[in-house]
Amino acid sequence: MHHHYPEGTVRALLNTDHVTPATRTTLEARLSLHAPYEPQFFTASEYVLLKAVCDRLIPQTGSDTDYINIARGIDERLTRNESNGWRYDSMPPDQDAYQLGLAGLEATAQSRHQQSFLHLPDAQQDDLLRLIQQAEVEGEPWDRLPAERFFEEILAEAVENYYSHPLAQEAIGYVGMADTPAWQRLGLNTLDDREPRPL
Amino acid sequence: MQHYTTSETVDAVVIGTGAGGAPLLARLAAAGLKVVALEAGKHWTPYDDFPTDERAQSKLFWNDERLSAGEDPLPFGNNNSGTGVGGSTLHYTAYTPRVQPDDLRLRSEFSVGEDWPFGFEEIEPYYDEIEHFLGVSGPANYPWGPVRKRQYPLGPLPINAPGQLMERGCRELGIRTSPAANAALSAPYFQEGVGWRQACTNRGFCQAGCNIGAKASMDVTYIPLAIHHGAEVRPESFVTQLVKDASGKISEVIYIRNGQEERQRCRYVFLCAGTVETPRLLLMNGLANTSGQVGRNVMAHTALQIWGEFDEDIRPYKGIPGALISEDTHRPSDQIAGPVDFAGGYLLQSIGVMPLTYLSQMARARGLWGDALKQAATTYNHVAGINILGDCLPYAHNYLELSDEKDVRGLPKPRIYFSNGENEERMTSHANQVMRSIWEAAGAKNLWAFPRNAHVIGTCRMGNDPDRAVVDAEGRSYDIPNLYISDNSTFPSALSVNPALTIMALSLRTADRFLTRSNRLD
Repeated sequence: MHHHYPEGTVRALLNTDHVTPATRTTLEARLSLHAPYEPQFFTASEYVLLKAVCDRLIPQTGSDTDYINIARGIDERLTRNESNGWRYDSMPPDQDAYQLGLAGLEATAQSRHQQSFLHLPDAQQDDLLRLIQQAEVEGEPWDRLPAERFFEEILAEAVENYYSHPLAQEAIGYVGMADTPAWQRLGLNTLDDREPRPL
Repeated sequence: MQHYTTSETVDAVVIGTGAGGAPLLARLAAAGLKVVALEAGKHWTPYDDFPTDERAQSKLFWNDERLSAGEDPLPFGNNNSGTGVGGSTLHYTAYTPRVQPDDLRLRSEFSVGEDWPFGFEEIEPYYDEIEHFLGVSGPANYPWGPVRKRQYPLGPLPINAPGQLMERGCRELGIRTSPAANAALSAPYFQEGVGWRQACTNRGFCQAGCNIGAKASMDVTYIPLAIHHGAEVRPESFVTQLVKDASGKISEVIYIRNGQEERQRCRYVFLCAGTVETPRLLLMNGLANTSGQVGRNVMAHTALQIWGEFDEDIRPYKGIPGALISEDTHRPSDQIAGPVDFAGGYLLQSIGVMPLTYLSQMARARGLWGDALKQAATTYNHVAGINILGDCLPYAHNYLELSDEKDVRGLPKPRIYFSNGENEERMTSHANQVMRSIWEAAGAKNLWAFPRNAHVIGTCRMGNDPDRAVVDAEGRSYDIPNLYISDNSTFPSALSVNPALTIMALSLRTADRFLTRSNRLD
């Protein structure tokens, strides 16, 4: 089953009384993050690699202005050294895990294809990521960084960063932020007027 | 709000303002005691501070890093932990079933696990009081458990689409269902010390913070009542030390506020910081552990979720997330899914879900990425889930310890070992079969399972034997006569229901026992 929803729904609702001021402020700030971003935590080369990985985990086909910068959120979090409250005991601290994992990805690309991950075609990039997901990689740094856990963590964080963006929410037909004054129609196949119908 | 100076000796310091601390704080204040609550997190103003945005609302979770070890490492953060005045109730789902009497007698019934040191009749009056104070919404006739003395004060919340689907599937299979009891208001409700609270607007956002006070989190119920009766709530105060005097009693609580160390002198301490922070504080201070039980017996409910896609439009972000319940699996008969080969039981719950929660779980459990992930995400408006919450036995291999790794405060991070045992695996396997049958009967396609455990419990067990328990049946430390513990850490067994209502009931019970004892001494 595929469902397609119209564009512009969340953006239009943000200009109405269906969202609270706190919600509007939060989502508009996220929508306005277009400026080029200089990484604070990652080196320039790590950051380019991280962006390339995010682009394979969640491919984006829209225009440059609609590009949702997943890597930026990761860099900002690691700059502040913030945690989501837990980590697998088998994993090193988050900052180390990201740096080790990216280095491991690049080293694995070099050893298997004699070139940078960045220069591989999409299909080969995906193959390498799948090897990491399935923990079919060996040697440094994977002997001290469980590859499947590294993959799971970067994927979960990418998903949270991407789908918290209003444009990504429009694409899946989510308008839960427009919760004021109330949702009236809760049952199966019953929609409030402001909820988008699939195309 | 009343303010006490740190130079005076208050009657009691309460550490933590969640379901364990807040009811007790209100009770002690109402009895005329000088009480100060120390809360690590902020005191929020929900309407202004709580956008309908999961990412922004991660500020409600206890985000200091915990290390999750064992075969089934427990996620914390958005699972199992909260911070801010109100504690984890800021992001609980408000699901408030009562325990059934046999939940408290697991060992007597099955020869495994633990019995509680008292029976249902000790808790029941507190359930009744709390349900009426909070304004719990529930059905007129609840099909399971002992007959209620009074009906729920409010009728049930509306059943959302996931609830309707579970109703449909269960009817097909002959499993009884009922609208669930939820501590969110189905109508405006007047509350002592607070005034009128408004009805739920079906935001479906309970797990990321209610912004209108319809959900009975502690910050809009027992905390204002406590303040009304003269308690002081001191937010952003992180307790680091409990100081004993020569007599072996705790005389002072040391905490960090605004980067400065402060001290509060007190006659009694009520430690209500939850299953992780309560034992962590005791272990860091080397206190109350003659039994060697502090940090032991970590339990977490079996909590498998089954998700499915439906042809119908669902919009799982609307309505109270856990609208429907069944307790036919509390002690399942062999008719439901074949012979039962485990101790205890579980409840079944329909679940709606916020998008980030759903999609990040899906990414972790199914490992979907690339175009496959994006396509699966477009089905969000057509997904609904069922969930169990079931008992979990205590095991020697599940425990909390202090690690060598330090947090930003320079304090040791806790490491929590958790592995499901055979009983949990058998129960989960039974539930997996039952939930898949229900969802298939309801018309679901593309089913997938999210394996998890929820509601971390244990670590400071209560009991009648000081060699095997940290606190007695009133919540009082066996080692330190003026230290009480009131939170989910004291549960001897995990129960087969969500813990919040029972934590509140034990909190009031501990307060009443304490007050009776103090009056006797006076």
